[in-house]
Amino acid sequence: MDDILRTAGNCRHYAMCKIDFLGTGVCASGLEKHYASFYPQGRMDLYAALAENRVPVTEKCVEISESCDLCGKCDYQCYFVNEMRPSKVMKALKDRVGSFLGSGGVPVRTEDDEILRGLKRIVGDYWASGDPAVKVAYHRDLCPLVDPKMPDYVVMPGSKEDVSSVIKFLNAHKIRYTVRGNGASSHGLVITGGTIIDLNRMKTVEFDEKNWTVKVGPGVAAFDLQREAAKRGYRVNTAEPAALVCANIMCSGMVSLFSASYGIDADNFTDAEFVSVGGSFFSINDPAAPNMFSFRNSDTAPRAFCISADIKLHPVFDDESGVIVPFEALAPAVEFARECAMRRIGIAVGVLGSEYVSAFLAPTKKAAAAAKHVFEKKLGMPYVVLVIGDSHALRSVSDLGRPVINQKLFRTICLGMPALESAGWTGLLSDVSVGEPFDYLRLEKFSDLAEAALAPSPAEFTRDIDPELRPFFQELYSRPEMTDIVRLNTFRITSSRIGRDKPFAALVVYLPMDYALISEMKNGFAAAAGKHGIKNEFGFITPIDGGKRCIFEYDYYFDNNNPVEVAAVRKASDEACGVIAEYSAKTGAVRWIGHIVNQGCARKENILYG
Amino acid sequence: MTRTEKKGAGAMLAGKSTVVITGATGFLGSHIMASMLEKGRRVIVLGRPSQKEPLRDRVEKLLRWFGITWPTGRLYTVESDFLKPRCGLPPERYAELCAATDQIIHCASDTSFFERGRARVFESNVGCLKELLEFASASGVSFFHYVSTAYAAGLVTGLCPEKLPAASGFTNVYEESKALAEKVVTGYCSENSIPLNILRPSIVYGDSVTGRALKFNALYLPVKSLAHIRDIYLNDIINHGGKKSRECGIRLGAAGRLLLPLRIYLPKSGSVNLVPVDYFVRTALSIIEKTSHGGIYHITTDAPSPPETLVAFAERFLNICGVEIVCGNSYNKIMRNPPEELFNRFIEPYRPYMSDGRSFERKNTDAATGGASVPACSYETFGRCMEFAVAADWGGRVLDTGQ
Repeated sequence: MDDILRTAGNCRHYAMCKIDFLGTGVCASGLEKHYASFYPQGRMDLYAALAENRVPVTEKCVEISESCDLCGKCDYQCYFVNEMRPSKVMKALKDRVGSFLGSGGVPVRTEDDEILRGLKRIVGDYWASGDPAVKVAYHRDLCPLVDPKMPDYVVMPGSKEDVSSVIKFLNAHKIRYTVRGNGASSHGLVITGGTIIDLNRMKTVEFDEKNWTVKVGPGVAAFDLQREAAKRGYRVNTAEPAALVCANIMCSGMVSLFSASYGIDADNFTDAEFVSVGGSFFSINDPAAPNMFSFRNSDTAPRAFCISADIKLHPVFDDESGVIVPFEALAPAVEFARECAMRRIGIAVGVLGSEYVSAFLAPTKKAAAAAKHVFEKKLGMPYVVLVIGDSHALRSVSDLGRPVINQKLFRTICLGMPALESAGWTGLLSDVSVGEPFDYLRLEKFSDLAEAALAPSPAEFTRDIDPELRPFFQELYSRPEMTDIVRLNTFRITSSRIGRDKPFAALVVYLPMDYALISEMKNGFAAAAGKHGIKNEFGFITPIDGGKRCIFEYDYYFDNNNPVEVAAVRKASDEACGVIAEYSAKTGAVRWIGHIVNQGCARKENILYG
Repeated sequence: MTRTEKKGAGAMLAGKSTVVITGATGFLGSHIMASMLEKGRRVIVLGRPSQKEPLRDRVEKLLRWFGITWPTGRLYTVESDFLKPRCGLPPERYAELCAATDQIIHCASDTSFFERGRARVFESNVGCLKELLEFASASGVSFFHYVSTAYAAGLVTGLCPEKLPAASGFTNVYEESKALAEKVVTGYCSENSIPLNILRPSIVYGDSVTGRALKFNALYLPVKSLAHIRDIYLNDIINHGGKKSRECGIRLGAAGRLLLPLRIYLPKSGSVNLVPVDYFVRTALSIIEKTSHGGIYHITTDAPSPPETLVAFAERFLNICGVEIVCGNSYNKIMRNPPEELFNRFIEPYRPYMSDGRSFERKNTDAATGGASVPACSYETFGRCMEFAVAADWGGRVLDTGQ
């Protein structure tokens, strides 16, 4: 496999090229045309399909190829996330199509059939397509458990009325369909052989500050909503930045470290509007509406599709900051996070493993591996608890008696990581720590000393980055927000780096915040992965419902281009699901996120305790 | 235990007058092992198994460091566990070992000062004794030599006698465990009529002639800490404009000497009792080989070094100035700069030993050694030892350094 094809085949489908998270702007053709195919992500799929002769050069293929102006924005975005440079794929696509046309090739024209003509009558000619070059961008994601399937049509309604009409039309013709927002996709939930209803054009964002809500359409990404909320001095509880808010509500309920105080699932909105599977409208607050707040602990088919949600706005305080509380082991970290939640300390609380911390912070894979070593071995902190709160909350964290890494030291450690890797003096720190190996954090002015010792600098921090892109990243990391604990967790732009080394399959469970139970399940997940030779790591734990329950993520990593690893991760995932089922039956208190799919509107009490 | 070792064990049992040494991979134990071998003695090293490296390989590396070729037929290693019955050995192997053993030199010790390791320290220093002493008894050894510490005396003032400790207060868990261990060993040996020597070194540093050492704590750690602090601020001045240095009053002076204003806070004036490892070994061997009825021996110096002298040595060695000793209780009352804060935390475990007022009776030791004098800790000795430490990356590359 050549380098360009390898890059195309490694697109993670996290949709980070669809949001302007670095301030570079977004691919112009994507913003204009909305189809996934017109974003760099879609072009990666298209190039791979062309190169492997899975699709011919079609009329849409030519349009998609020509709409790229090779501006290079996708390089910055994708390099930030995955250390990949898609622009060479974009260029190869243009070259390939240009060469085809130059040699007298005639692009294939897809004839409209009766169904497509019907869809076009509803949404307008441009917004429904059966062209393989369009459809190929919807035919797969990296979920190892779901095989790629080429849809028959892609349709992009522009209004809720369109959505209703399309669903009624498809129902009338007994055509399968899947509704998606066209954001991040890594769980195979939107792969279908029928019709894809892509709601990405519906980007309503209407603030109702009097009622502390914002109405969002199904095409609005978490990052874009968060940015609009931040401009007005609010925060919303959202998931990954490129995940679409309405889709997220439906799939998993919105989960973040802020769920410790903002809640999960139905806690996050005051109202939501749906189109039922029959095509009728209802609002969740309508007394005659289906009970979307209920929860059944099993696989559930969709009953309706969210076409707008009134998301709760939360206040942001001037004195908010974040601290990292290190731990030598998971047990005390879980206990500390639980205590914070029970005492209602902090807005966001979560236990993170060194894999996450290092992947999030480091600008390259190499730096992430080094950072992991630093956190685990040099600093003796394989686990940390992250707490975000106002000055009162952070004072309470201090009162709990733990050594902490405050915002200033966090920035120093981030940007000083290269110096920290090679620092000889760190060995002394643990030598002299009377209690835990990081007791030195209690030293007055340790931040000043660390700053002198590590000489944090964006230039050093970005030294391993591709020289062509380095000036941009150097400037990027000189921005305070890039090392701001609150902002990084609010906008979550680094979380997609989890899959930088290899794509991952996440095991997510809701369970009592009891270390013994967590530990048993963690060991079960690790054993299943170990048996099949799959890289596996602790992800995070966030307390919810005042620390009575928590969300626990454990991750399996695999090479999506290696059939052996894909087969292995499938087996390991099956066995891990067995672990979840076992503990679910044994305790009656463990919930698998797979059962929350299509029930993300449920009342959290129904999910956790029902 | 490997097959090779088992095979070797048979040969080991051919005769008596074999010395069993524990802790032979440690600083003092390795030196005693090397000296015993140089004197032609037969040695069995008992040590814990390690997943990283077999005991035999660890010992072999040490022998290379000492410049000794493995003396086939005179040196054996036995991986053992003193927390298990029969030291974790099969009955027949244990019996063979007992039959071969004439004397035991117990050097193994956990030297951690930290309270967080209390359980581990007591397990290593006291918990292990039961099986080891039963092994001594089963072997019918002619002598049991226990390497303790002068500081087992505990928190006492004035002259510490060559007697079992009477103090109930200790500076740290290490001292406390060693004091208890002395009592346990003494009680057992007395009940079982096993002649016992207790060797009590003070703070042991490198070889006074060559500067060589294997471990770099105690005397070395404060110097190593100062070296790192110096390097941090030199780097700041040379490569980053020196803003952080200026904030602390740190600057580069004439001849590249770094002015590093740093106050070392000690509770009171006192001195540091230092002996070089070559003296320790000579003295220990004299005691082991010449005494016939046992006793307690302080391997210490009557001329301990004032901390001011050691600070001056360190300044000269590191090409810095501005380090100052401050005695009294002002530590919490004075605003400290970041390097002061860090350094004083670095030396926290060693602070009591830097302002020690205790002295140590040496009657037994002088009698055993004919009053051999302790090499003074001069700047030349100090410098040699520190140069070796730097070359060995303060322990990071010690086994690769200078044969």
